[in-house]
This record gives sequence, structure tokens and C-alpha cells, in this order.
Amino acid sequence: MQRSVFLGSSAMTLVLGLAASAQELPTTYSIYGTPGLLEMPVATTAPEGTLAGTLSYRDGLFQAVLDYQLTPRLSGSVRYAIIDLYDGTAAGIVEDEFERGFDLKYQLVEEGSYVPAIAIGLRDFLTPGRLQSEYVVASKSIGDSLVVTAGLGWGAMGSEGGFDNPISSRADRPVFDESEPGGQSASDAWFAGDAAVFGGLSYQINDSWGVQAEYSSIAYAADAFAPAVEVESPYSIGVTYRQSDNLQLSLSALNGTTLAFSGTYMLNANTRPGRAGLETAPAPVNLRSNSARQATTWDRSATPPESLRSALAATMAIEGLTLTGLELTDRTARARFINRRYRSNAQAIGRAARMMSQIMPGAIEVFILEPEDEGIGLSSARIARSDLEALENRPGAAADLLARTEFDHAGNDATLADAQADAAALSWGFAPFVELSGQSGGLTADAGVRLNASYAFSPQFILSGTIGQSLLRNDAEDPGTDATPELQNVRTDGGFYGDDGFPVLERLTLTHFGRPADDIYSRVSLGYLERMFGGISAEVLWKPVNSRFGLGFELNEVAQRNTDMGFGFDEYDYSVTTGHLSAYYDLGGGYHGQLDMGRYLAGDWGATLRLDREYQNGVRVGAYVTQTDVDPDSFGEGSYNKGVVVSIPQDFLTGQPTRRAYGTTLRTRSGDGGARLRVDGRLYDVVRDAHTADLTDTWGRFWR
Amino acid sequence: MGAVLEMMTAIRAGLILTTTLMMSCSAISDSGVVGQVVGAVTGAEAPPVGQQINASEDDLLDNPGTFLRVNIRDLDRWTTMVKAGENGTRTTWIGGDGISITEENGVLAATRGLPRDIMGADTAATWQAIRAGGGTVQKRMDFLDDQDQILARVLQCRIVSAGSDPVNRLQRTYPATKFEEECTGEGLSLTNVYWLNPSGRMIRSVQAVSPDAGFLQIDVF
Repeated sequence: MQRSVFLGSSAMTLVLGLAASAQELPTTYSIYGTPGLLEMPVATTAPEGTLAGTLSYRDGLFQAVLDYQLTPRLSGSVRYAIIDLYDGTAAGIVEDEFERGFDLKYQLVEEGSYVPAIAIGLRDFLTPGRLQSEYVVASKSIGDSLVVTAGLGWGAMGSEGGFDNPISSRADRPVFDESEPGGQSASDAWFAGDAAVFGGLSYQINDSWGVQAEYSSIAYAADAFAPAVEVESPYSIGVTYRQSDNLQLSLSALNGTTLAFSGTYMLNANTRPGRAGLETAPAPVNLRSNSARQATTWDRSATPPESLRSALAATMAIEGLTLTGLELTDRTARARFINRRYRSNAQAIGRAARMMSQIMPGAIEVFILEPEDEGIGLSSARIARSDLEALENRPGAAADLLARTEFDHAGNDATLADAQADAAALSWGFAPFVELSGQSGGLTADAGVRLNASYAFSPQFILSGTIGQSLLRNDAEDPGTDATPELQNVRTDGGFYGDDGFPVLERLTLTHFGRPADDIYSRVSLGYLERMFGGISAEVLWKPVNSRFGLGFELNEVAQRNTDMGFGFDEYDYSVTTGHLSAYYDLGGGYHGQLDMGRYLAGDWGATLRLDREYQNGVRVGAYVTQTDVDPDSFGEGSYNKGVVVSIPQDFLTGQPTRRAYGTTLRTRSGDGGARLRVDGRLYDVVRDAHTADLTDTWGRFWR
Repeated sequence: MGAVLEMMTAIRAGLILTTTLMMSCSAISDSGVVGQVVGAVTGAEAPPVGQQINASEDDLLDNPGTFLRVNIRDLDRWTTMVKAGENGTRTTWIGGDGISITEENGVLAATRGLPRDIMGADTAATWQAIRAGGGTVQKRMDFLDDQDQILARVLQCRIVSAGSDPVNRLQRTYPATKFEEECTGEGLSLTNVYWLNPSGRMIRSVQAVSPDAGFLQIDVF
């Protein structure tokens, strides 16, 4: 085909979505993993929604940090650090101590023409806080490339050239008592003690290269339990290289003594690398003729329902949707299906509806689509076929159709004709795994392969199991001393489990899912529920389709398994009744809350509060904290269980349709207090993405 | 009754095809979904899974109204499309590579399968202005953003005739009048080019989809 002659004649520019803020200079990350110079923070922020993972190293201090810009002004970080620390006498050095910490930063003032950006922050703000600092910092850009930063620091940041605290009421900073449990808020130390001034310059040479010069107020003094880092001078210089918008590499010469390296990978939840998705086009809506549309019934001998069912099943299978049931009347067709392809159930419903328009007799005017998971109907979307026909490919079609679609609970199971004639009852597969875990004493890695298998007696009644073979664990990882002798070692003995190198039975459960009433869902799991516990777990959830609120109750009677992860329970002879009352609430604006109250595995009573920021494209960043009646002293390091959960859908990265996600939980520790049973198939996660709030969130994908 | 019979015939033909495809390729990839659907539903014109539709020059020339040739400029790739459905005066065409376009009188109304599709767009005003020899129109284009939300842009467009500009293709020359449509809106400006033959039918166009998807050159046979 001849190439056209007008290649240069068309021009197009388009910025989709909200333009970035006026801040044009790229955010550079310090070796502490937050927006900053080299070690000191700056007042500018990363674009809202930025997740940045940093690995950095300087002598005696290795850090892995996840920084998250939750709102345009507020950011938080989780830090895992391996630090050489001075011992209690400040004379000797204890190498490679594993420390965890959290940072918070809030921008008080946005940068203006004459006003600098001003931010306040806390670094490593929980006890013991080996790096603990507080700061107020101002940054101002001058021209297009230069940013000047000056700040006032306390704590570690108040140790170089420190002077009396301008906040006179907080002249003395308490020293952390090493006999006290860690993980507590160290608010009595915040902004207390000497203060010191820090500052620096950051100059961006071009899109890729930048240089930084810094005067640091961290002296790294040789105090008891302080980081053993050598410092000769407060002055440092560094260079940053941005390979792309996603990767920053930096090299710096710090304090006249050492070189430091760091790499930061950035991802913005608002900017999808997979763009709007690369899945292939759907089948179009099949328009009925006027006469077909006016029919009030259809001829079942000429068009047998069984043929319609098999035709719909076949065409939906092309879209990765499994038709499990179909109910036909003169004017309605109700299809229940499993979506195994699309992250968005709205998209699955949209594709299923268009397939129905291709197959169903013209008299059928109403399509009722019911997503199913674990054998239970999760919801129903009632769509008028004539709306599909009228709105297809029209501007505003998604909003118009959403306004006309009725959502409700799934319909009656009994009147659905079974469409799954030869559903494969047995499925199995191998999958490799890689896991990193940080227990006291450092990070440990494990890798191996898992055999997963499941057999469905019915769609709701499933036997499933996992056998794992570790390739790395060779009896190498033993837990340290028991920090909580009063508590059963429900988690701290985790390192003993399956560490002899033999294949282990990770899970073997018989699970039944049900929907005993319209808005009530149930689950019963029996068997080897997780690596460390087996028994029975029962759960009910009340979650109306159109409600943002859900209430669940779970009761488990479990016993601790043997460390060889075979079938036995005699090694510990420990059993416990544990369970929670759980409230779930979609707060709107992308925030989701969950409160669990009840009894934990070690028999302790308490509550877990979890808050998630969830983007409509499925990226999720959450934090949770658990407080129980266990005395913090018994709890040991960490005081209470807390952590950060990050989940990124695969289609966010690749654009290819899949329901898989990459996720990780960054825990401060897996202590014995506040430990929950890790049972699969908790109901809220099963049902919520087919309910109205989640469907509405991604309704833009209905027509995709 | 005739329609029902026709549908059943199509379904039967489609089922045979679908079953064959599923048996021959158990791990059905996403590619070729549209082709399978076309086959499954119409029982005809089904391109093989994940493959381009093969139409010779003679096929293109001898079957007017049957094929589109579309050049996806960003991918520097040509694809042949066949009709997948008609909704009023809007026609959806699909290629074997899983990309579909919907047009009305040749003006692009929607795309699917590109990195940032037009989810729906006004076309009537543009077409009326072309038929009138030029004019100023307003139209709305909907895109899908990175948060699965519809991003609507209202564009002000000026359509002008650029005079006679013959279209050359397949070693033939077709007399045509060229029209240019310049549009601007919030964060968006674009230029579309249309060629109409003397009977007023669009035979070629270069139309903007989105920054992530670029332009499509659409040749109508």
C-alpha cells in the first residue's frame, strides 16, 4: 500500500487528565528514601499518588524505604534498615541490626512566587528510633533549575552544630530506655532537645542529570545505641541521574568520609504504565430490527433455550467469562457468570451484555447480569437492551447507562438453568515463589515451588491444597530468643516451620461458600488452614449490594500445627478459639476502613484498625495497627502489630487484562500478640468488587 | 421468523467455528477475540485467531463496502478490517489484531483496542459541515483515563475545504476533495483530514484518536 503524502500535515497534542502541579523540577529522593537532598529532607513533595521504593547504602547503614505521597501535602514512609549500632557502652559496635521505622511529612505551605514551600516532618518517629529526627524545612526554586533548601532539625538532625531549643519548654530530649518496648509513639522526644540548622542546593542540569550540595545537621555522634557511622564534615555533594520518570540513581560523597549509592523506583498510582488498557476490542452491540424489538415473546421451538445457553456460553468464553447459569423469560434473560479475566467487573458485565445482544431473541428487552465468585451470585445489574443499543459509542454513554442500570442482590439460584455442563472439577498447577521476610536478626529469603490443586465437588464446595518445596531453606533460619515468654509462640516460631527442606503441606482445606439470605454470605473452612494452624473457620458477612457498609463475624477453633508441617498437631498441644467482629466501610473518595474486634491467636483480646487508599484503577496502599490487651512488655519489640499493605494490579503495569495483582505486606514484625489466622477466602474480599460502589468506580470500563 | 432463523443459522455456524477454535487453541489469547466473535455470530468473514485478515488488492477493489484498510500510525502498521456490526448509521469494523473502529459517514465515532481509545464521539456536526463545504462545529470526545473514568473533552472545530486532492492507492488515482478539520479544546488540539470522492463518499481520512494512540489513516473501499 502506498504511503500517504500527508504524513506531516497533521498535528496533535493532548494532555489527558489533570495537568501536574506547577512544580516542574523532578522530585529527587535522598538516601533516606524521601524527597530530599542527600540525607536531609526538602519541603517540596512528590506528585500525589507517587509510590517510591528506595534502596540505599552508606557505610554501616543500608536502607530499604517505601515512600508514599498520600495527598498533595501528606506523605508517609516505611523503612527497613540494617544498621551498625554502637553498643550500650558506646565503645563497641553491634553490626547489622535490623530496624524498622516510619516517617511522616506534611507540607504546610505551598510554594508561591515569593513564598517558599514549608514542610514539617518526623523521621523514624516510633521508639526506639535509631534515626529519630524532627524537622521544619523550607524550599524555594529560583529559576528553572535551582532549588534552595534550609531547615531546622531536632533529634539526630539537631546533633551537628546544635543550639538550645527555640522551643524553650522542650529543652531536654529524653533518652530512650532500652529496657522499654519499642514501637511506641515517642512523642515526648519530638521537637525536644537541641536544634540545628541544615540546608543545601539542588541543581537540575537537564532532564537526566542533577547535582546536590548539602550541609547536614546529623552528626552521627558515638552515643550508646546510635548508628555507627563515621563523619568528618557536615558537607556532602552528590549527583542524581534519572533514567526515566520512574528511576533515579544517585551517587554521593558524604561527610568527607564515604561514598553512598541509592536507587529509587517511582510509580504514580494516577499514571498507568498500561495506559487505558490494551485488551482487544469487544464484540459490538447487535442492533435488533424494529419488528424484533416489538415482539413480546419468542418461539422456543425455533430457538430452543438450550441452544441460546450453549451459544452464549461459547461466546462469553471467548471473552474469558464462564457462563454458569441462565434464566430466560419472554422479555428477560438473567445470566450468571464468572469473570476470570477483567480486573473491573463493570467491564466484564459490559462485555457479557454485548454478547447477550448478539445471541438473545429480539423479544428479550432486559438483561440481568450476575457476577459469581466461589459459587455464589454476588450481585445483579439490570440493563435495558434498548439502552445498550441507543448509547453504544455515544459521548456520555457510561454515565447515562450507569444512571439507568439497577443494581441489586443476585437472584434466586434455583431458577437458573445450569450452563456449566462439563466444568472442570479438578484443576492444578505449579507456581514458583520468592519470599522475603524480616525477623529479628535480619532479612531472610526463601524461594521454591508450590503445587496448587483444587477439586470442586460443586461450585460452592471445594477441596483445595498447596504443597510447597523450598529450595533455599536448609534449617538455616531459627528464631531468636523468645521475647514474649508469656504468650504462646503463635507467630514467632514461624521460622521453625518447614525448615528441614522437605516438602510441606502449606494448606489443605475443605471450603464451603454460601449465600443463606439475599445480603448474607457464608464460609466454612475445615482443615489445614495455614502454615501454622489447622482447624475450622466459619464466617458470615452481611453486605447489601448497594451499601457502603458491611458487617462480618468470624469464629475459628484452631490448633497449632507441628513444625514439620505434616498432618500432626501434637508438638505444641495448643488450641485456641479465635474470631472477630468486623466492620467494613467504603468511606468514599477512595478511602476504605476496616475495624476488627475480637480474640487473636494467642488468646489476647483487642482490635485491628485498617485504612486503605484505593485508586479506581486498583492500586491500593493501606496501613493497619493492632492493639490488644497484651502488656507491651510481654509483646516485646514492636509493642503492637502494625504494617503497610501495597497492592498493584498487573493490568496497571502491563495493560493486559488480568485479575492478578502484585502485593506485599510490610509488617513491622510478626509478633505473637495481635496475630490473626491467615485463612483464605475471607468473604468481604470475595464480594465487594461486584457490589455497587466498586462497580461504579470502574464503570468507565463498561464500554471498553 | 426470518430473523430468528437467520440468527440460529449464524449461531450454529458460529458454534462450530468457536468450538473448532477452542479445540485448536486451548489457551485462547486475547488476540482475535473480535474475529472469533464475528465468526461466532455471523458465521462469516471470520479472520483466524490473532491473524490479519488477508484481502488481496482484487478483494479490496471488487467488494466495495466490505473492507477498510487502516494504518495505525503509531505502530506503523496496516490492518484490514471487516464489518462487525451496524448500529443505525454507525458501523463498527474490526481487524484480526483485535482493534475495532466505529465510524459514521467515515467520521470516527469510537475505537477499541488502542492504548487510549475514543470511547464515544459526536460525528454528525462534522459530517454536516463537510457536506456544506465547511463550517464551525462543536463536538465532544470521550476517553478512558488512567483511573477508569471517562474524560470528556469538548472541542471547537473549524472545517475547511482544501480543494481538489486526488487519492492515489493500489496504482489507481481517485478524484477527491480534501477537507481539514482543526479542533481545539481543553488540553487538546488536533487536525483531521478527510478525502471525499465526487459522489460525496469519504474514501480516505487521517483522524486523531488520542496522544497515546496517535492517528489512524482509514482507507474505505
